[in-house]
Amino acid sequence: MKRLADLKKAGRKAFVTYIMAGDGGLERLSEQVKFLQNAGVTAIEIGIPFSDPVADGAIIEAAGNRALKEGVTLQKVLDELASWTFEVKVPLIVMTYLNPVVKFGIERFAKECKRAGISGTIIPDLPYEHRELVQGATQQEGIALIQLVTLTTTEERMEAILQEAEGFVYAVTVTGITGARDHLAEEVREFMKRVRSKSPVPVYAGFGISKVQHVDMLRGDVDGFIVGSAIVQAFHDDKIDELLPLIDAVAAPSSV
Amino acid sequence: MTKVKICGLMEEAHVKAAEGADAIGFVFAPSKRRVSVERANELAKYAPVDIEKIGVFVNASLEEIEKAVEMVPLTMVQLHGDEPDSLVEAIRVPVVQAFSIRSKQDVERLKNSVADYVLVDAPGTDHRGGSGNVFDWSLLEGGGIDASKLIVAGGLNPENVRSAIKQTRPFMVDVSSGVETHGRKDSSKIQKFIQQAKGDLMEQAIEKVGFFGKYGGQFVPETLMKAVKELEDAYTEAKQDPEFLEEYHHYLKEYVGREQPLTFAKRLTDAWGGPKVYLKREDLNHTGAHKINNALGQALLAMRMGKRKIVAETGAGQHGVATATVCALFDLECVIFMGEEDIKRQQLNVFRMKLLGARVESVTKGSSTLKDAVNEALRYWVTNVEDTHYLIGSALGPHPFPTMVRDFQSVIGKETRRQILEHEGRLPDVVLACIGGGSNAIGMFYPFLQDESVKLIGVEAAGEGADTERHAATMTKGTEGVLHGAFMKLLQDDAGQVQEAHSISAGLDYPGVGPEHAHLADIGRVEYKAITDEEALKAVITFSQLEGIIPALESAHAIAEAEKWAKQMAPDELLVICVSGRGDKDMATYAERLEGLT
Ligand SMILES: Cc1ncc(COP(=O)(O)O)c(C=O)c1O
Repeated sequence: MKRLADLKKAGRKAFVTYIMAGDGGLERLSEQVKFLQNAGVTAIEIGIPFSDPVADGAIIEAAGNRALKEGVTLQKVLDELASWTFEVKVPLIVMTYLNPVVKFGIERFAKECKRAGISGTIIPDLPYEHRELVQGATQQEGIALIQLVTLTTTEERMEAILQEAEGFVYAVTVTGITGARDHLAEEVREFMKRVRSKSPVPVYAGFGISKVQHVDMLRGDVDGFIVGSAIVQAFHDDKIDELLPLIDAVAAPSSV
Repeated sequence: MTKVKICGLMEEAHVKAAEGADAIGFVFAPSKRRVSVERANELAKYAPVDIEKIGVFVNASLEEIEKAVEMVPLTMVQLHGDEPDSLVEAIRVPVVQAFSIRSKQDVERLKNSVADYVLVDAPGTDHRGGSGNVFDWSLLEGGGIDASKLIVAGGLNPENVRSAIKQTRPFMVDVSSGVETHGRKDSSKIQKFIQQAKGDLMEQAIEKVGFFGKYGGQFVPETLMKAVKELEDAYTEAKQDPEFLEEYHHYLKEYVGREQPLTFAKRLTDAWGGPKVYLKREDLNHTGAHKINNALGQALLAMRMGKRKIVAETGAGQHGVATATVCALFDLECVIFMGEEDIKRQQLNVFRMKLLGARVESVTKGSSTLKDAVNEALRYWVTNVEDTHYLIGSALGPHPFPTMVRDFQSVIGKETRRQILEHEGRLPDVVLACIGGGSNAIGMFYPFLQDESVKLIGVEAAGEGADTERHAATMTKGTEGVLHGAFMKLLQDDAGQVQEAHSISAGLDYPGVGPEHAHLADIGRVEYKAITDEEALKAVITFSQLEGIIPALESAHAIAEAEKWAKQMAPDELLVICVSGRGDKDMATYAERLEGLT
């Protein structure tokens, strides 16, 4: 995770991708990670499928359902990661809803993440107020518990959340669920500025980022971008090459 | 568990308002609150039988006291004069002796009392027997007074009673002028006082705000946290506001048609050959089920928060209809999410919602039932949170929903408790209610939770059998997990994926049960049973033909389980069933499944 801070210091933007583990079969996961790290992404979120993903839009939900049909579980994903022998050059972050973690066992989850080489975790339905449920275990294993802030986060909460932020802050660009969108509201820039001015760690914009124009709009006010649905859909449609320009737009050194 | 006494009652309405108290007091000594023994006898008829009736005297003779004890009848006597120990000892019923406390010396006198209980009060000004002045509670500290004998009075009111209890931990708190407005008792202040004083014990289950034991919480995406917190604040404030409660009760009475009867089911009683069976008639509510009690309360709250758009989920369609109804009534915009499967089996309700002006959105994901409808409603709420209230339909979801829905549904249990006391002069032995998410059940059970003699039975759906793959028996088969914003009990697989529930009854077809039920199961206060589709259908026939009431499929689960209990019970026992709704909405299912019925 230190790498993310270094990147910021170097004045470069981060490009974080989200992929759904096991969409198309768990054996595809290593291919996808290799592809993305070669393409120059900064970090990869490994999504764990869940039956009731209320923070997600149609694309990620559908990908999750496909993965569930393949029999993918948190355990299988972590075992898969732990078995890799190729060099993983970017931080991996597990993104999962809380219930699979609770069922798995929270301490066990942190330990197994560590064993699998995971650097951080994002749990969208674990708000700041309930973070102690997981944080003790993740801190023990040196896994960052990444927090989200949104357009509806009140000033006071934001201060509290940012004060304890680990890794990076996930700044949500929409009042809504994940999924590609054409336009981002103007107020998002103000919001990003606000978050960034207060955050001790890099601020990445996510939810709805799918186009070069989104990147252009927010480039000056964030430290990086998180792209989910667009990547998930591209992998599913076997059109991932079409997203290379977007990755380049953010991550290529020339784009400083 | 500090008890509450409301003293100086003179009117029926106020005796009724005090039904949640542990004791009421009649003043027979000179006072502006003085009543005659005859009047006290009249008033006592309106009080629950198990409430202590305490007579207040100042230097009366043993004869006078005994006459009142006999005639009212009183269960305790409270003395405010200079009565000698011999008199105190001669009284047959437990005696409370009152002391005015000005100094530590007064505390010493009180310690030597031979009475069963001692009451401490601020010194009176005009008449003896309590002045309403606040006394310095700290005088009691370190005085070596036995708190289990202590009754605290003097200047208490709804605002300060909690801190008085915290400081002195007494056996009972006593209030009179603190629940009056312009020298006359005030029903809403009485209720507020009881609520505040009992808050500690009623909410004892809640270790942290929003938790019932380990269950509950606010496990929602960050975007919703602001809305959830605002709702929490708005509800906390509204439930203390007598005007809000008055408005809610006004609509319950004038629009929903409450209160609903507690009907004695004579033929069912005879047929089962066991206890006397009573039916709480939620089927008689406007829109045909208990759901409207909650929809109404939440709609009023939404408007109070300035929100005029409502989103809701529905399973059987009863909550959707109730929501669409209140939205029509108050001119609110209304979107209802409903699983495609439920739309098929509850056609009539879909049409009703549309006729009422609601937009019904079909959900085709997952099992296309209630769980999936909640997911979609939550997603819609996340997206429209700034101007939309999520009017959840059961005792589920993130805090404050489970508490709020319970409170709005508690009217069921409150009425039932009072009615059974009126009918039978005692509390029931067994109370049953069906469980989908658990709202009618918690509303029925909550007012009985402190009545340890009352057995409370929640009945969930066993579908094709709790040991098959197709059931909705969460309490029987579920494990702990997080769904829809709360830590609760769930049907899930080993990997933490929530499983589909199955029940012939759309309203019970949900793989979770509200957090408070999970806690009540853990502490053993409520027992949970499961009834199969077949058993429920059989109960529909029995019930319809014996009582002339066609029950909702959900309610039929409670009826079927009730029969099993009745078979084990004696004729002098009492059993209450919550008939959560009527069967109109299920007529298509009945026609199909009960074909050939003659
Ligand atoms: C008539 C009736 N009873 C019971 C239920 C179950 O809900 P709950 O457990 O919240 O009372 C429903 C739900 O739709 C219903 O319509």
